[in-house]
Amino acid sequence: MNGEAIKAQLPHRYPFLLVDRILEREPGIRVVAEKLLTINEPYFQGHFAERPLLPGVLMLEMLAQAGGFLESGPLAGKAIFLAQVLDARFKAAAFPGDKLRLEVNPDASFGDLMRIQGTVSCDGRVLCTAKLVLKSAAGPEGVA
Amino acid sequence: MSELKTEVKTMIIERLKLEGMTPDQIDDTAPLFGEGLGLDSIDALELVLGIEQHFGVKIEDEAAGLQAFKNVESLTAFIAEHRAA
Repeated sequence: MNGEAIKAQLPHRYPFLLVDRILEREPGIRVVAEKLLTINEPYFQGHFAERPLLPGVLMLEMLAQAGGFLESGPLAGKAIFLAQVLDARFKAAAFPGDKLRLEVNPDASFGDLMRIQGTVSCDGRVLCTAKLVLKSAAGPEGVA
Repeated sequence: MSELKTEVKTMIIERLKLEGMTPDQIDDTAPLFGEGLGLDSIDALELVLGIEQHFGVKIEDEAAGLQAFKNVESLTAFIAEHRAA
């Protein structure tokens, strides 16, 4: 899954759609997605001018967006919100040119809340792990 | 039953990190959510996990869960009923 199919699933758009490709998808069980970082990403202009590296919080956002594909129905036209961040660890930085692998799986859900376990890695090296609680809701387009 | 009630309260305090609180400070019949203990829906998710891990009771049905989460008394009754089954 890529391009338009991703846009049909998530409400996010440029410059904040942070998932380029879905490699594996089993709704409710597991999603593996990919984000390709290029030097042209807007945040590299200032983070940092001399040494561009991906802001850690954006790795959490990438995992949250990948989590949107755990939902069986499309989220386009709905909203998915970040409700909680737990145990976030940033082990290494990501740089322009990196191909990031985003793996998420749910470990609990109740009502409209879903808790997911996520890992960002690059070439087999773990960059970030975190647990996130996502809230999905019908309504205007929102952010994850 | 009262022993289980204290165990439930201890689980709530530990799971939700209600620091400085003791089981006897939680009223058996005071609402857990909103007024009373003032928990929110994220706490509810945490409690669902805590109840499963600590008591081996799964709460899969949201309506049943909300009924159980009314107060400590209803939650203890729910756990006692489903744990025995």
